[in-house]
Amino acid sequence: MTTTTSAATPTETAAAGAIDAVKLYGEGDTEIRALDGVTVSFERSRFTAIMGPSGSGKSTLMHCLAGLDQLSSGRVFIGDTYLDTLSESQLTELRRDSVGFVFQAFNLIPTLTAEENITLPMDLAGRRPDSDWVDLVIDTVGLRPRLSHRPSELSGGQQQRVAVARALASRPQIVFADEPTGNLDSRSGADLLQFMRHAVTDLGQTIVMVTHDPVAAAHADRVVFLADGQIRDEMIDPTAPRVLDLMKQLGD
Amino acid sequence: MFQVALKDLMARKRRLVTTGLAVVLGIAFLTGTRVLSTVLEDSIDSLISDVYEGMDAVVRSPEVQDLGFGQEVRAPVAANAVDRVAEVDGVRVARGVVEAPSVQLIGSDGKVVGSNFGPPTLVYNWLDDERLQPGVLTEGREPRTEDEVALDFATAESGGYEVGDTVTVSAPEGSETFELVGLMGLGEDGSRSSGARVLVFVTPVAQRLAQMPDQFNFIAAAAEDGVGDDELAERLGEALPQLQTVTGTAFTEESSEAIAQFVNVLSTFVSVFGYIALFVAAFIIYNTFSILVAQRTRETALLRAIGAGRRQVLVATILEAALVGLIASLLGLALGVVLATGLKAAVGRLFTVEPGVPSLPAAAIVTALVVGVGVTVLSAVVPAWRSSKVPPVAAMSEVSIDRSRVSRARLVWGTIFLVVGIALFTLGVTDTGPNPLAEFGAGAALVLIAVAVVLGPLIASPVSRFLARPFGRRGRVTSRLAGENAARNPKRTAATAAALTIGVTLVTLIAVVANSVKTSVDAAVNERFDADFVVAADVTSFSVGVPKGAEEQIRELPNVELTSAVRFSFFRLLDEFGKQKAAERPAEEPTNLPAGAPDEAPEGQDDFALGIDPATFFEVIDSGELTGSPEDMGPDTIATRAAVAEERGWEIGDRIPVYFAATGEQELELVLTFEEDAGQGSYLVPAETLQRNGLPFFDFDVAVYIQADDRATDAELAELRSQLEDIVAGSPSVQVQDLEEYAEAQTGPLDTILAVIYGLLGLAVVIALIGIANTLTLSVLERTRELGLLRAVGMSRRQLRRTIMGESTIIAVFGTLMGLVIGIVFSIALSVVIAAEDPGLFRYALPYGQLVVITVVAAIAGVLAAVLPARRAAKLDVLDAIASV
Repeated sequence: MTTTTSAATPTETAAAGAIDAVKLYGEGDTEIRALDGVTVSFERSRFTAIMGPSGSGKSTLMHCLAGLDQLSSGRVFIGDTYLDTLSESQLTELRRDSVGFVFQAFNLIPTLTAEENITLPMDLAGRRPDSDWVDLVIDTVGLRPRLSHRPSELSGGQQQRVAVARALASRPQIVFADEPTGNLDSRSGADLLQFMRHAVTDLGQTIVMVTHDPVAAAHADRVVFLADGQIRDEMIDPTAPRVLDLMKQLGD
Repeated sequence: MFQVALKDLMARKRRLVTTGLAVVLGIAFLTGTRVLSTVLEDSIDSLISDVYEGMDAVVRSPEVQDLGFGQEVRAPVAANAVDRVAEVDGVRVARGVVEAPSVQLIGSDGKVVGSNFGPPTLVYNWLDDERLQPGVLTEGREPRTEDEVALDFATAESGGYEVGDTVTVSAPEGSETFELVGLMGLGEDGSRSSGARVLVFVTPVAQRLAQMPDQFNFIAAAAEDGVGDDELAERLGEALPQLQTVTGTAFTEESSEAIAQFVNVLSTFVSVFGYIALFVAAFIIYNTFSILVAQRTRETALLRAIGAGRRQVLVATILEAALVGLIASLLGLALGVVLATGLKAAVGRLFTVEPGVPSLPAAAIVTALVVGVGVTVLSAVVPAWRSSKVPPVAAMSEVSIDRSRVSRARLVWGTIFLVVGIALFTLGVTDTGPNPLAEFGAGAALVLIAVAVVLGPLIASPVSRFLARPFGRRGRVTSRLAGENAARNPKRTAATAAALTIGVTLVTLIAVVANSVKTSVDAAVNERFDADFVVAADVTSFSVGVPKGAEEQIRELPNVELTSAVRFSFFRLLDEFGKQKAAERPAEEPTNLPAGAPDEAPEGQDDFALGIDPATFFEVIDSGELTGSPEDMGPDTIATRAAVAEERGWEIGDRIPVYFAATGEQELELVLTFEEDAGQGSYLVPAETLQRNGLPFFDFDVAVYIQADDRATDAELAELRSQLEDIVAGSPSVQVQDLEEYAEAQTGPLDTILAVIYGLLGLAVVIALIGIANTLTLSVLERTRELGLLRAVGMSRRQLRRTIMGESTIIAVFGTLMGLVIGIVFSIALSVVIAAEDPGLFRYALPYGQLVVITVVAAIAGVLAAVLPARRAAKLDVLDAIASV
């Protein structure tokens, strides 16, 4: 097992990262340390998975990295920007322009068509989408025939593909995916993971995915293991059996 | 289940507060008007008994003329009857009383004191008997000579006069001055004021000003000790069988009743707006409960799954509605009393009101509770029924947002409502049913409901998307989302918008009709009048006219070619048609049975006649084709519109039986018919005939039309105008106008009435806006997850607020557009009926400017309604929102 400690500062190669990230919930006896001094960075054009049991702090880490939640102490950065230096509206702009999101479910605005959902962040920014890029993304996820459909007319797998396309469409610095396959059957899940893999390898995108599924994690370039709010281990070029083994080990 | 209902209520306090608010406002309005009118009636009762306190019996003429609106005037009695009354056994003293509205008081600032609305300006004579005299002197002394006057203290104060000052009065023969010698007041210490402007003169002056020399309005008698009122009245009735005698008490009651009736009409009119507001509230309640029931589907299903029966679910929801209604009604009652107290303070500046906090009549409490709870429960019945139909299995499924389209049942009911509504509406406007106003209202309500439940949902989605479109380009996504959000649930959008539609429909209807009336008057004056100037009394001062002798003076002026004066008076048509009309009216029960002669007015139809100078009238006013000649209009003749003659079955040469209160039954010969009237009424009688037969209160010209010499230059016309102004300078309410100004003055009072109506309708609009805010708040709650997502992918708070405001604006504009369309349709229906009655006169005219203003105001109001829900949505924590399902 190789442990590479990535430099946790904004560098040429890091798309995002956290330094000594601490997140506390509650006070006194009921205090919970969701993040307990996490230092980690995510390289550009790589597909990283964050794993850990429920309550390990993996979702909290992702929310803080994405600017959806604030740390109690420590810092997070995206590109060369420390998020704690940003105002609420700058954070909104950052989410809109530099970050892509894929949630477990309810990713799409039901009143908008698939295409409108995909270009939503650019429309909100009032920017003209880079149509070559958007076309490329749409073709990559294979959604061309479904563009004018509403989310309610799409299957769960198709909805998640639209969500991935939306996350990629504005060419963000980094895409965060929170259990993107959690609500899908294994076939659709595998398809979606392949699209994400494809986006990293062929389109040069950066994806960080939170999951508790070793099979999903095996699609990543690197897996970071979290438990009790701390980074316990990491693995480069994971396979499902190795991830499972490590998880068992960490569970003990 | 009661506990479940109660808990639901507590859990949804805030939403139900806004729902209840609509009911609170409606009930407060109803209660407020009711309490206020009770206060007014009590105060007026007590003031009137102060005025007539010392009169034990009143002797008067049995001849009475109905003026409509519950108002009537009685013929005067001759002065020599006073002595005959005084001679009757048991009478201690008798006095002739002058009580007439025939002058205006000019304040020390040169302006008329008081307005023409509200309490009148009354001329009295000094009775020189402490007991009979209305009011007491509080300062100075009584008027003793012909150039002295006493005023009531409140009038003197508002006119800026003190004892010793010279007071100016605008009288029938121009302005006169009197020395103020005394101040008076009502009540034992003279501290109370009736709000009327009271001027007390010596008897001959009062008679001259009231234009009834040697006559009195009535004779008041005080009894000797030991003679009862009834006994006195009986003796007087026997002694003076040609006259009518009533007891002082009955006379007082009659006077207060006339005013109470007026107050009643006014408060009924105002209450109508309270009911309109409640109708709007019903839509909001229906809508809120529909949304709540839909959002609660899972919870309801769970209850059903663990064994709650359908009935229990139904009862729980209805109970919830009843509780909301009850609480809202109680709050409404309280607010109503507060409202009435405030208004009472405002009226208290006009006249003396009963002191203290107004009490709440028991009937008002019952009405408020029944109406408030009733409206709430009825509005919640359909949603409750829907709630009871939720199957237990729904507990397992996703929360579903109601996206259903218009069902067949809706279409069927909507069509039935529409058809019945239109039928009732038609019945109402054509005045063929038993209660036109109720039919008109019920019909309009049904049409509105039909539109709201069927047409509204059918068109809500496309219209919303269409309305969102023009805002494209800038903020494309926000307006697109706003449009889609308004379109996603057409039933909800339609019901929310419909609440606003009601108010806008009424505003539009009234605006269109008012504009049409104005246009019609303008057209009538411009096309049918051939005059350079009109010297006319203010249309709202019914008791003051052009000064006597003014026409003769005007005729002498240089450059005057022709003058023509008109006057009016009331009369009763006794022809077959009129008798038939009278028979259709419900008979009124006489309240106070008088002694002596009973009221003497033969059955017939009251109307007013215009007194004209036949030689000049048709020169000035183009009445279309004439059948017969104006030259034939000698004494005791009448002319009418050809269509009226046909309807009543009159032919030229017929002798038409009529009744005048002053002279009794008369016959007038029909000598002329004309094709069209210029808004002057249907009956023309020579001025001389009208003067001879009319009551003295109307013995004045209302207008003098002046044609100048065609060759007069502009400078000469200007000169003429200033000469005319000099002639009427003593009568501030008489104006010199050219035709344009004259037309404007005719419709001036309409603007005041319109402003009041718009103000009252404002309540319904405010409630509708509360409804929009309410729906949006519920929608925001329902879409929490979606809003979180939007924020997560980069929508700024500003954009989110703009999206919700956009949705609100779309709903508001949608509601307004429906209101405009329905209002215009109603107005066309109404104008068809009006035009049918008087074809030449009525011009239908849409007030485009006003309609645009209404739409713009609605759009702005829509933005305002969204302020709170938008702020709430923008404050949502992104993570919490995403986490919620």
